[in-house]
Amino acid sequence: MERKYFLKSLLAGAVSAPVLLAACGKDDATPSTSTTTGTTTTTTGGASSANCTVAPTETEGPFPTHTPSSYVRADITDGKTGYKLTAKINITSNSASCAALVGALVDIWHCDAEGNYSEYGGSGMQSTNYTNVHFLRGRQTTDAAGLVTFTSIFPGWYSGRATHIHVHVYNASGTSLKVTQIAFPEGSGSAVALVNGYAKGLSGYTYNKSDNVFSDDAAGIEIATVTGNFTDGFVLTMTIAV
Amino acid sequence: MTIFVVNPMPDRQLTLCYRKIIDAGATRPWDKLVLDDSYRELRMQAQYFDPAKKYCTFGELLHHVPAAERLHGLVGGSVVGYLQQLGGLVPDVLDNLGRRFLRFEHFQFEVINSDWRDPSKHQVAVNFFSEPLRWLNTVGPYLIVARECEGGGAAVLHTFQLQPFLAIHSLQELSADARPDDAR
Repeated sequence: MERKYFLKSLLAGAVSAPVLLAACGKDDATPSTSTTTGTTTTTTGGASSANCTVAPTETEGPFPTHTPSSYVRADITDGKTGYKLTAKINITSNSASCAALVGALVDIWHCDAEGNYSEYGGSGMQSTNYTNVHFLRGRQTTDAAGLVTFTSIFPGWYSGRATHIHVHVYNASGTSLKVTQIAFPEGSGSAVALVNGYAKGLSGYTYNKSDNVFSDDAAGIEIATVTGNFTDGFVLTMTIAV
Repeated sequence: MTIFVVNPMPDRQLTLCYRKIIDAGATRPWDKLVLDDSYRELRMQAQYFDPAKKYCTFGELLHHVPAAERLHGLVGGSVVGYLQQLGGLVPDVLDNLGRRFLRFEHFQFEVINSDWRDPSKHQVAVNFFSEPLRWLNTVGPYLIVARECEGGGAAVLHTFQLQPFLAIHSLQELSADARPDDAR
């Protein structure tokens, strides 16, 4: 561990030197306290020798890079087991005669095979390991055809709700346009019947007509089209007008 | 003259928590990236809990919509990329040699305050939970801890002071025969 740290700090020093030179021209940072590059630190309590706190003296780390929100990914599986599901969602604009909405942000999230969501606790410990933090949740931007595609697993179910996928559509600046849910077709031969609730089975299952969100959708506009099988995986297609 | 007393004590294992507060006063790039990105994510995700846009501050939202507690985790989930860039080392907390030494895998993100009309009010915290360390001794204000080395090599010792926003998160007594000879 000690050797790894030492080697890492050598490498970091080599990378950050040119950055430091570039920064010197732009700002008047003095070398003592907080510099504008790297991840070196200043102690919260001050650095004078009079009060016996040490000043940070470490090799500069690499400049932190801006990363997009970690939700931005097309494959939201995070290692969760389940039947492969490709979700193709088309966003159209009501105010533009149902033309495709380009550049919209689309968040989807759903439960795993056992019926559990990631992050439901809200105030629990999180891990720097992605798979524990937000499985089955992701964000994509609609392309020129208003389409986003996610690779996921077929959702499980939990008591009181039919199988569903949550969707939140925003415009490019993050303003919410629509919060909705996608329902699944039912009946013999449907994917819901085939998957049969994974290990749970479908005893006590809530079907769409009894579901508190979907029961008033007589025309079935919230129900997606789902095709496929266990071997090739399932494909869900849905158009959402905002 | 200060006299330090060395207190012999049974081996205990501890984990530390460091609560890093980030707000408008942040100057360092990492802090500013986390602050800005979390503000943007918070404003996006808060709309799920307040579609009618009745509330303008995080405090108001939490008060009227208890389910908005989920926002700590939802927003924290979006900045995992920045946590990963730390390479497993807790920032700011130094040992007495002036180096960061605490390793972490778990964190807890907190939104403290925010205002959709005023970005300068946005204030968040990242709570870092350290790996377990063996607490060997205390010398005056200094704790001496050991990190077990993989492969059974000599343990690495660190000497550090408790400082603001750093606290012992958990303690566990270790049985006497769990102490390896090379920890001394």
